[in-house]
Amino acid sequence: MLEDKLLVLKCRRGSRDAMCRVYKKYKDYLLTLAKGLLNDQAAAEDVVHDVFVSFARSARQFQLTGSLRGYLATCARNRVRDKIRERTRRAQALESANPAIVDSDNPEHCIIEAEELQRLRQAISQIPYEQREAVILHLKGDMKFREIAKLQGVSVSTIHGRYRYGLDKLRSMLNSELEQ
Amino acid sequence: MRTAEDIKRLIKILTDKTSAQMDERVLKDVLFTLEESKKKSALTQPNIWRTIMKSPITKLAAAAVIIAGVVLSFTIWDKTTPTAYAFEQTIQASHSVQYLHIKSFMVSISDEPIECWVEFDPSGQIKNMRINKPAWMDPSDGESVIVWKDGKMEFWIKKKNFLFIQKDQEIAAQVLSMVEQFDPKHAVANILQAQDEGDTEIEIDEPENKAEPVIITATFPVENDLHVQRSKLFVDQATKLLNKLETYQLKDGEYIPFITIEFYDYNIPIDSEVFTLDNIPSDAMRVDETTQEIGLLQGDLTDNEIAAEVVRQFFEALIARDYAKAGRMFGGVPGERVQKKYGHIRFIRIVSIGKPVLNPATNELKVPYVVEVEENGIITEWKTKYNYIPVREVHGQPGRWATTGGPLGI
Repeated sequence: MLEDKLLVLKCRRGSRDAMCRVYKKYKDYLLTLAKGLLNDQAAAEDVVHDVFVSFARSARQFQLTGSLRGYLATCARNRVRDKIRERTRRAQALESANPAIVDSDNPEHCIIEAEELQRLRQAISQIPYEQREAVILHLKGDMKFREIAKLQGVSVSTIHGRYRYGLDKLRSMLNSELEQ
Repeated sequence: MRTAEDIKRLIKILTDKTSAQMDERVLKDVLFTLEESKKKSALTQPNIWRTIMKSPITKLAAAAVIIAGVVLSFTIWDKTTPTAYAFEQTIQASHSVQYLHIKSFMVSISDEPIECWVEFDPSGQIKNMRINKPAWMDPSDGESVIVWKDGKMEFWIKKKNFLFIQKDQEIAAQVLSMVEQFDPKHAVANILQAQDEGDTEIEIDEPENKAEPVIITATFPVENDLHVQRSKLFVDQATKLLNKLETYQLKDGEYIPFITIEFYDYNIPIDSEVFTLDNIPSDAMRVDETTQEIGLLQGDLTDNEIAAEVVRQFFEALIARDYAKAGRMFGGVPGERVQKKYGHIRFIRIVSIGKPVLNPATNELKVPYVVEVEENGIITEWKTKYNYIPVREVHGQPGRWATTGGPLGI
């Protein structure tokens, strides 16, 4: 987007206003991605913090070759991977009490969906990470399979497979809950 | 039972929002880091002219860059200088500017200015713009004109009878951002922003005669490695608007005039024809990247694979004498133009297409190749004189790749 290119150029010149606008524009998007991948509010907030601080640190030399949104999403994904590596050395953090926010005007519908989303989050956290990444980056990150394949260092057909298996597992987990 | 579509829908509405506390914490750290990086970059700021010369889009934006360069680096040392004039007055006055005409002179090179007309929208953003580039800026191109209108950039090179139209956001943003820099309110705002950063001396001369301008002189330390060592701003005392900006380079202890920018016709409406390229000859070569699909779609191919494929299909089209297709591979050049250039050559076969190599300066992939051709009755191999073709993603057409010609210029 042209607006993003201009924002990046202004950030490169050290504009505080532009930096704030980049943060406001992408903070929720990155938090949703990070939380979707980590299922951990505090860790997801840390990821968002680190992504923006790193962006500010390199802003003066920053060269944007693709989209800013894609760039930030890739940074978030890389930091999520770092967090997951850290987790293997530590006990898993307790899930934060912050509930997911649902875009719905109907309060009753909202409660039902919030419960459903909570179950979905649990289910997402139980599928293998590579599949989770394919599902979240594609559906929430709007990334193309080709871009995800590049990130994971595998072929596009492998990503297709991981995405499909991931969705199938989610469906099967959520449907088995319904049957119980 | 939930279907896969239900799961997709649920994932898509999954939304987390940051809290006010988180925003405060992150922004505090982000802005602190940005300030720290500014301090570091002030020490290592490169010579802007060297940067300009290395930029792959120099040709398109050079006029804007030359005007912009002089106002990028204002810093002030003495912010307590006693004077009735305040920088904020000029910024305030400049906010109401809707139309502006600018002339920029490279004093040591030519008397002929780079001219620019800008129309701002009510929010102060550039709406329309035209730059007239004189021939001295690029003798190989001669005079040229850049017009930015409705998000579209038109680039007209009279000497080459060539009109290039594109809508690439990267280039548009670069040009607009640079033009923003010679918006006079930015020139003065940059001074204010830099007040806490620099070690530059500043003097303000405010004549009693109100018909004479306020002159602000900023002198920069030589060790900053900036392209100018002194700048003077001339501010109209009545309107508080910037009338002129002069820059100087220090050579042998003397400040030599470098670039002068003059600001005219504040808020005098600019005729819409100024932002329209007319009188383009009917036989001009017209490459419009906004109305045709150029090159090949990448699909699942890697960057190297698509670059090699573009070159292969380009030569296959020449072998088949399908000049329209060759033109599409060649950045959208009309088929007649390709035929005019290569129609007399018989392309016999592709001998080899090698592994592409990235050119980091231009972000293009250089694809080596060898083809067998017959020219003037002599069969030969092109492999030394024309030993590679650059290929890149088409501006404004994500996912499509084409060659930009390189040594095979048309």
